[in-house]
Amino acid sequence: MSGKSRTGFIIGLVVIVVLVVSLFSWFIGTRNQLVVLEENTDAAWAEIDNQLQRRSDLIPNLVETVKGFASQEKEVFTNIANARAKLAGAGSVQETAEGYNELQGALSRLLVVVENYPALKSDQNFIRLQDELAGTENRLAVSRKRYNDSVRDFNRRIRMFPSSIIAGSLGLEKRDYFEIDESARSTPKVDFGG
Amino acid sequence: MMKKYILFLLLLIPLSLFGQSLPDYSGYVNDYAGLIDGETESSIERISNRIDRLTGAQIAVLTVDTIEPFGSIEEYSIAVADKWKPGSKDQDNGVILVIAMKERSVRIEVGYGLEGAIPDGRAGEILDTAMLPYLKAGDFNKGFLIGVYEIANEIAEEYDVELGDLNVAVPAAPSGSRDSRGSGGIPGGLIFFLLIFFFGGGRIFWPLLFLSGITGGRHYRGGFGSSGFGGGSFGGGSFGGFGGGGFGGGGASRGF
Repeated sequence: MSGKSRTGFIIGLVVIVVLVVSLFSWFIGTRNQLVVLEENTDAAWAEIDNQLQRRSDLIPNLVETVKGFASQEKEVFTNIANARAKLAGAGSVQETAEGYNELQGALSRLLVVVENYPALKSDQNFIRLQDELAGTENRLAVSRKRYNDSVRDFNRRIRMFPSSIIAGSLGLEKRDYFEIDESARSTPKVDFGG
Repeated sequence: MMKKYILFLLLLIPLSLFGQSLPDYSGYVNDYAGLIDGETESSIERISNRIDRLTGAQIAVLTVDTIEPFGSIEEYSIAVADKWKPGSKDQDNGVILVIAMKERSVRIEVGYGLEGAIPDGRAGEILDTAMLPYLKAGDFNKGFLIGVYEIANEIAEEYDVELGDLNVAVPAAPSGSRDSRGSGGIPGGLIFFLLIFFFGGGRIFWPLLFLSGITGGRHYRGGFGSSGFGGGSFGGGSFGGFGGGGFGGGGASRGF
């Protein structure tokens, strides 16, 4: 009788040990996955930040080129300067999105002005800057999509049970999506089909 | 709260639908719209193959009838780039030329690693000065051939290598190219362009093309005038697939 109960005891012990080890490795595994997802989101945001900075650096050049042909259009230049300042001072994802929208609007208005100056439109320098700006806009669109994809993965993971428990214990919170106003495109396609 | 939930649902749908409509690649040139003839396709492949062997950079061409259901050629192009991933994984040195007939759009999509060699402004310049004049005239063969050649030249310069003799008759840059140097540049280019136009652009006129290279600036290095230089030994090496290069959305687009 003692043989059987000892065997039973050992089996019971093994089962418990296996359970504990499994639980532990699941815990570690999930925790690490959450860390990876969070890091992905941070890296994707850094790329957005990078592109916003790049665009910000391009704008003075663009403004100067336009001023060379249309210096009297003072209002648009002021709008752009204000929007840039606002974007530079943005802290959260939300503020950045707002700053982005405002700058988009100001750039759109600048390009409307440009329509009145055909010499400016065909200036090689200006064309190149437009390409650079359009390229940056595109990179922003790409990095925004990648950021939002990683936010989606992260948010989903921290809300799903049971990884939500670990997420809670780590103090991980949902990230915001980078939502911008799609209608305010700052760069129309350069079209020579005339 | 609800808005964010809807947003994430919306993000999910396009991914599943759009994945189905992206074409696969079978080589450097993927002519789904039937725009490029056999000889031009071989020529482009020779150039792409050469630059791939020399630098690992991979230049791909894609022609399609339409980019639908994507909304713009930019969105389409980056999706294709993310799927195909031309260029090597560690250097991200891929380029894709995409043209869509229905939307009448053309784009040069540049990988992360080549954004220094081909910045957006330069991509736009290649489109404007080299490719668009041919594309607008309906000559897709010359348009793509010259586009790939210009891009290969930029890459070769970046990696400090010589393309060498390619046995390819590259069309002349249409007159009015901004890179013409010296007073002889533009008229010279115009004359040679007309000659090539009249005589159908064959290899007979290599000496002329070579001369136009002298007057026209730096575009025509290699491939002209040195017929004995390794020509022919470069039989088409097998295409081993694209190497996993990353793209960030750089490049330029035009309507034609």
